[in-house]
Amino acid sequence: MPDLFLAMMKEEWRIHSTIFGSLGFAFFPVVVAVFAFLGSLALPLFRDTLPYATVALLAQILFLMMGVMVGSFGLMGREFMNRRFGQASLVAYASRSLPVSERRIFAAFLVKDTVYYILLYVLPFAAGFAAATPFIALDPMVGLLAFVSLTLAFLVGLSIVCFLSTLYAHSVRLLAGTVVVLAVLALAGLRLGAITVSTALPPYAFFIDPGPGPLALALLLILVPSAVSVLFVTVEYPDRTKRFNNCLDPLAERLRALGSAHFIAKDALDLLRSEGGAGKVIFSFLLPLGLVWVCLSVLIRFIPGIDPLVVFAVLLGVISATIYNWLTEFDSFSSYTFLPVEVSEVIDGKLKSYGLASLLPVAVLALAAATGGAGTFLPALAAFLSVSAYTLAVTVYLTGLHPNVMLYSAGVFLRYLLAISPALLLLIFASIFDPAYAALSLLLVLPAALLLSRGRTKWQAWEMPGY
Amino acid sequence: MIEANDLTKEYGSVTAVNRVSFSIAEGELFGLLGPNGSGKTTMIRMLTGQIRPTSGSARVMGLDVARDPIRVRKLVGIIPEQETPPSFLTAEEYLRFVARIRNLDRVDERCDRWFDLLEFREKRDVLCKDLSRGTRQKLMFAQAFLHEPRLALIDEPLINLDPIMQRTVKDFLRSYVRDGGTIFFSTHILEIAEEICDRIGIIHNGRLLHSGRIEDLVGSGRHLESFFLDLVKGDTGA
Repeated sequence: MPDLFLAMMKEEWRIHSTIFGSLGFAFFPVVVAVFAFLGSLALPLFRDTLPYATVALLAQILFLMMGVMVGSFGLMGREFMNRRFGQASLVAYASRSLPVSERRIFAAFLVKDTVYYILLYVLPFAAGFAAATPFIALDPMVGLLAFVSLTLAFLVGLSIVCFLSTLYAHSVRLLAGTVVVLAVLALAGLRLGAITVSTALPPYAFFIDPGPGPLALALLLILVPSAVSVLFVTVEYPDRTKRFNNCLDPLAERLRALGSAHFIAKDALDLLRSEGGAGKVIFSFLLPLGLVWVCLSVLIRFIPGIDPLVVFAVLLGVISATIYNWLTEFDSFSSYTFLPVEVSEVIDGKLKSYGLASLLPVAVLALAAATGGAGTFLPALAAFLSVSAYTLAVTVYLTGLHPNVMLYSAGVFLRYLLAISPALLLLIFASIFDPAYAALSLLLVLPAALLLSRGRTKWQAWEMPGY
Repeated sequence: MIEANDLTKEYGSVTAVNRVSFSIAEGELFGLLGPNGSGKTTMIRMLTGQIRPTSGSARVMGLDVARDPIRVRKLVGIIPEQETPPSFLTAEEYLRFVARIRNLDRVDERCDRWFDLLEFREKRDVLCKDLSRGTRQKLMFAQAFLHEPRLALIDEPLINLDPIMQRTVKDFLRSYVRDGGTIFFSTHILEIAEEICDRIGIIHNGRLLHSGRIEDLVGSGRHLESFFLDLVKGDTGA
């Protein structure tokens, strides 16, 4: 078991350092800690509208979801690994070729995920927060408490997704039945008032009121699903072969006028058919937008004269650029290198797909304008379109067709922030004087065009590594 | 059809291909043989403009590959080492996608021909990610020959195929060459080369150790396996 664990730890490090570069990846926890530190320093500013308990709850949910994502990736991320590294062969998938039981491999895998991601995310985040506690009049012990409770939240997410995936591996009906039973119990609990935030999320309850009760409940939520997952693990997944009629041609015909229609049609099919289609939208788009609304409601109280629609439009422009990440997530240039296709042609196709997908954030903006602030809709729209184009151009220039991988490199991420933050802040401050100044954002179109042009040239010259 | 002059590819301190020169005439079936890591895949990637040589040059169908990689890839068919069709297109959609990239007409007819020849019609509506490796290799074969190229470059042609399909593919390659096509393929399986090649090259540590006709080798009374082993084991890399 220790050998397996160590091999998996090395493997995980090598996967990440191969993708992001050893130094770039080694700095990732430092970036997390710095952001947590700076964010914690700002907490007193928002205290009236965003109490510490609410911040703690948001952090707990964030780490719970992180556990879910790590678990999901570990169990279902083979597709991604294959596309990044060719036919991936990881220790976790090797129970058929090694004289080690699936159960032992899976147990070691769980322990590895626990240790590795606590070191990568939870510890730096808690350390950043702990370092800020003396400056925001909090007991430094709260930092330790944050570390323990966030670790518990992360592990609850991880163990639940492992449990559900084990059920899925045995039978979809078993999984569906369990989800229905849990949902009915949850609804009943809510109706009877037996379920509160604290009982639903014991790590949060432990953070608010440390005691053996919430701790025991949190441990129960971690250990029982994990133990069941390990005991009943199976790698014999049911057949999930999917069949579809030819949708590429009809879709490409409809998009013909745009040019690169087959690339756009392929992007659309990738998005629609890939796992977690709706989940991707929720996590990378609607969830950040929700957070933006929360933050805006705070800002409006502190900065009089601010136009919420314009600020929302600017931030929407940045968040919308994550659409490019969806569009490139399941595509790899290795699928094109042997065809008469240039990198720049694929990028152009993605840009057109991005343009079409941007109708969604425009609709969100129009909806926001309709609920109040229609008077500044035009400058807000200009701000959204320009910022979205500029952020996209920066992303393309820095990461080419690999934003999902390269933005996690500390160096690239820092350059991304440095390129975007000043323009963003200037626009927001200008709009405080007069919302109409948001139209100045149109000036961003020029650097955006320049960056896109240079990005196309830069990535055209790029060569697939490996031999 | 192919003319390589002093082709060299270096990856940092590793020289994957070291000053290799050879030429392949129209209508030849040429097999590049070598152990794993000997430089076969790098050679194919250079000849098809997927990577640029560190030094040296190559002309394919009269075109300078380094200057005109896209035109080269328009003309030739390529099967890469790893079968990587896009995950979320079906087998049929992928062939139609390639047909659109190559601006082909008679797409139904072309697709049908390959579904039938390689016997995977019943898998045409399955997502590529759900196909077996063997079927993916069939799909890669189909995409490479969809535009009926005069030259095909294939990295390990029979990988993941069952014996029946291996026979079909070998017969197809021979008939393709009989009809005037040219094939350059790489493999480390000597029996394939012995059975279907007109000419072979043996590469080791990035250097071309031998290039000659199979029938000359057989005529001299030697088996390809012993010849290959003697050559490779005797190569000190100097």
